[in-house]
Amino acid sequence: MAEPAIAAAHMSLGYAGRAVLRGLEFQVPTGSRVGILGPNGGGKTTLFRALTGEIEPLSGHLEVNATTATVAQTDRSRLDYPVSALDVATMGSLARLPWWKRPGRAERRRAREALAEVGLAELADSTFGDLSGGQRQRVLIARALTADAELLLMDEPFTGLDTTNEQRLEELIDSLAVKGRTVMIATHEVEQAERWDLVLCLNGEQISFGDPAVAISKPVLEATYGGHIVEIPGQPELGVLPAHHHHHDEGHEGAGQ
Amino acid sequence: MFEAFSLPFFQRGLAEILLLAIPCGLIGSWVVLRGLAFHSHAVGTATFPGLVLADGLGFAAALGAFGAAALFTLLTVAIARSRRTGADSVTALALAACLAGGVILASDVFNSGANVDTLLFGSLLAIGSGDLWLAAVVAGLAVVASFFVGQHWLARGFDEGASRALRSDSALFDAALLTVVAATVVATLSAVGALLVSTLIVVPAATARLFTARLSTLLTAATLLVAAEGVFGLWLSVQTNAPPGATIAVTSGAAFALALGARTISRRGMWRAAAVAAALLALAGFGAGCGSQSSGGDGPKVVATTTQVGDFVAEIGGDQVDLSTILKPNTDPHEYEPRPSDVQAVADADIIFRSGGHLDDWTEDLIKDSGSDAEVVDLSTHLPVRLFGEEEHDHEGEAHEDEGHEAGGEEFDPHWWQDPVNVRFAAARIESTLSDANPAASAYYQGRLRRFDNQIRNLTRQTKSCVRRVPAGDRKIVTDHDAFAYFTNRFGIETVGTVIPALTTEAQPSAGDLADLEATIRRENVKAIFPEESVSPALSEALAKDTGATTEYSLYGDTLGPAGSDGETWLGSMKSNVNAVVAGMSGGKVTCFGGQDG
Amino acid sequence: MIDWLVDPLTHGFTVRALIEIALLGVTSGAIGCWVVLYRISYSAESLAHGMFPGLVGAALLGLPLMLGGATGIIIAGLLIAVVGRLSADAADTAIAVVVTSLFGLGVLLALSPDSPPGIQALLFGDPLGITEGQLLVTALLGATVLAALWFGHDRLLAVGFDGDAGRAGGPSPGLIQGLLLILVAVTVLVGVQGLGNLLVAAILVGPAAAARLLTDRMKPMILLSAGIAVLSGVAGLYLSFHGRVAAGAAIVACILLAYLSAAFLAAAKTRLVRPTRKETPDEPVTQLV
Repeated sequence: MAEPAIAAAHMSLGYAGRAVLRGLEFQVPTGSRVGILGPNGGGKTTLFRALTGEIEPLSGHLEVNATTATVAQTDRSRLDYPVSALDVATMGSLARLPWWKRPGRAERRRAREALAEVGLAELADSTFGDLSGGQRQRVLIARALTADAELLLMDEPFTGLDTTNEQRLEELIDSLAVKGRTVMIATHEVEQAERWDLVLCLNGEQISFGDPAVAISKPVLEATYGGHIVEIPGQPELGVLPAHHHHHDEGHEGAGQ
Repeated sequence: MFEAFSLPFFQRGLAEILLLAIPCGLIGSWVVLRGLAFHSHAVGTATFPGLVLADGLGFAAALGAFGAAALFTLLTVAIARSRRTGADSVTALALAACLAGGVILASDVFNSGANVDTLLFGSLLAIGSGDLWLAAVVAGLAVVASFFVGQHWLARGFDEGASRALRSDSALFDAALLTVVAATVVATLSAVGALLVSTLIVVPAATARLFTARLSTLLTAATLLVAAEGVFGLWLSVQTNAPPGATIAVTSGAAFALALGARTISRRGMWRAAAVAAALLALAGFGAGCGSQSSGGDGPKVVATTTQVGDFVAEIGGDQVDLSTILKPNTDPHEYEPRPSDVQAVADADIIFRSGGHLDDWTEDLIKDSGSDAEVVDLSTHLPVRLFGEEEHDHEGEAHEDEGHEAGGEEFDPHWWQDPVNVRFAAARIESTLSDANPAASAYYQGRLRRFDNQIRNLTRQTKSCVRRVPAGDRKIVTDHDAFAYFTNRFGIETVGTVIPALTTEAQPSAGDLADLEATIRRENVKAIFPEESVSPALSEALAKDTGATTEYSLYGDTLGPAGSDGETWLGSMKSNVNAVVAGMSGGKVTCFGGQDG
Repeated sequence: MIDWLVDPLTHGFTVRALIEIALLGVTSGAIGCWVVLYRISYSAESLAHGMFPGLVGAALLGLPLMLGGATGIIIAGLLIAVVGRLSADAADTAIAVVVTSLFGLGVLLALSPDSPPGIQALLFGDPLGITEGQLLVTALLGATVLAALWFGHDRLLAVGFDGDAGRAGGPSPGLIQGLLLILVAVTVLVGVQGLGNLLVAAILVGPAAAARLLTDRMKPMILLSAGIAVLSGVAGLYLSFHGRVAAGAAIVACILLAYLSAAFLAAAKTRLVRPTRKETPDEPVTQLV
């Protein structure tokens, strides 16, 4: 078996010596799709920061055998910026070029290919801010592709998407995985997480990890969301009511909680 | 219509604005995109301590300005480490720190002169080759930096979260941007002055931003817009004889309003915005200058720098001289900004009469930059009475013993015309210079000199007898800034103190010094404090209120009064001053000259 | 020691300066908190230059300068609000555009031979040159501003908390922001006349930024900020009296010292009380400095 894209052992993460996420113990094979479940402040953002190398583990061991790119929520980007979809996708090439080098013709071609891969070939020259939320999300994915990222970290990519765009994005993630890229998707929705190859449940510590069918259970969800679990009558799935379902809060995750 | 383009000073201004268009357009776009407008404005204003230091220690002003700009940038970065203070507050705090440092340096360390102020007010009409070089270097720097680092500035501004993965997160990229912004601002200072740097850096880029959706278009459009607005503003300023900086400010403001209005109307069909734009344009239409004050006489073309010198030349030259006076009556010479007609007059002049000293040392640049080959006569150099001393602290009672003022040195006191004897010599010198240049009118000049000389002698005699009527112990005055040493020296009056410690308008007195002055006024029983006509009298009035002295009588110091006032001519201003001083010292009991006769 | 404290009080101009700085300290300390919260320090620093054409206009028409200054500064405030909303660019760009255009216009208007010399200096005062009339104006306008802040406190807080998102009935956020800008303009107008431009910018931003470091709640922050402003003002005047430093600059130095002490205290408090508090917030910093 090839070496895993990510391997974490006895890892704890945090800031200024205080751990906000403990007991991380998991291995993600290359090319798998991993859902990350957890409440706000549960440690999703902190984990992403560790995976991009922004913070070091407080203890334990983390191995990332892939170039990494984050795909942030699009409202984190400047919508009033004077850039086209192609410009944004081209930015990805900065990760590969020496710092003083401007992206050239070859990089632009790569960016166009990446846009084609996410299904936006004909919108390459549109202004980024004029695109719909789902389209912007895919432009950011194209940027990660231009950066040659083998590991894509998506921060709640489904927030604010309608059903059509949601379905499109799911298909895109599937195709990325088929081509050997590892994708981690932070999400609030249990139903979403159940679709992926693996799921990682976090709430200040690792609650469970593995195949969704095994790793997601009522006790796990209760531990993950602190008891805010309701069973919706007449429906087989569990419904989850996170305490603060407000995606803006995600940015403050871990801050003082 | 376009003859202006053939004038050498205009061509240099044109070259400067075209060179500046490159850094202002390129870096201005980033300033607008990254929300650095306040920062760039503050960098310009925060150069003040650097200018004071450069002036006090005698090194290049641009170096001082850039040093202060760098210090300011470091301060903002240091304060910004505390993330709970917003970026705008950080800028304001760092700016306050730099300005306060500058005020203390100017007021309490160097006793800076007016030249510090003139550095804060640049002008496209007084561009030297040093300014052009600086602009060219900064333009090169801006191009190189944009070319090599621009992609990271874009990526970082777009979303900071992803900039780490794109290796654009290095603080060095931001440091490079802030450095280039500082350099651009410093280069812009000499063209438009500290308060208007945004005119070239922010406004054109913000205008271009309204219509562009691509970075490359924005950069190009902003650069072209700076060049277009600059050239048009410069040309308009020559046509209307207004200062170019302010003209460009109003032009580019109007262009922005127009662009914003057009965009808003086309997007939303809104007429409210149209009204705003129209109002702004109407306001802009106000800006009409007034013509040059050439006497239009025959004979040699003569330029006088100050109002007093202009009056002397008029007394001698009469209608046999074509006289232009640069400073206008009742304006503070420290706030002088050249106007196109001034530069034109200097360029065309046969003879230039200077007053000399720091009051008109900007003339040197003006003469050099205008390409004039006129004969320059500095009237201050051959005088019977030349006083030296520290400009402002000279007569300040106890402050005299203060040893902390070496930096001021023994500087020539340029207010020589307050002594009538000096004026007689200066008048004679003007006569011989004019006669040499125009021998045909020599007899005419000599006749007018004799008449003027008699008037001066009468004035001196009458003043002496007047002052003698004031009891000897009462012959003491306090002025609000020391322009009267020659006058008091000639007529045996003692200046026991001055209110403002330095000549730059940015300087402030300390409460301790003011308290000492108050004690002196009480001890010496000074009856009157004399504010100068062209200076704000608030401090003098506060002091007078507490000591029971009067500020009723004001003096003509650095400048003559406007047409129609007592101080329209030098003779008139002297009589008015003598009346004021004598009345003030005697509590109104002694009067000297009645009306305009005598 | 007693002499040290009492000596300055024997001079009329220091007493008036102390009263002025106390009155303005309370007013600007309070409104400064909103300046800091709404991030409008640039307006606070630059509005005074925007009133230039109003000033010259009043002088040319023979109206009181104060009236011209007030009209000019309020027009400048309104233009900033309008341009800011229409151009949807960074707010500070709007301020730069409006203030430099108005300042240039003022310079051109001042070229008229009827305009008095040093006109801007006429309205830029020095703390040591305060008159009793100015004290009265400061007290009246200060009371007006404080009353407006008192009545508008909750609305200001709501809009300041989440800007346009706070559009839940009541006046629009744009209106609230515009009114705040006018209150700031009034404070700046009174302030520059009494203290000069440098000092006004410092006293509006410095004490509030210092208070912000020490507390998280608005009301204690306002009280603390007003206290810091008054104390720094008094300390600065004593420094100017005994240390012979330019008065305005001495007060600014004391305000900056207060800010630095607050930053130091805040850092120490973080270490002592909450030793594990994390130092880097997740929120990306979108501005450079």
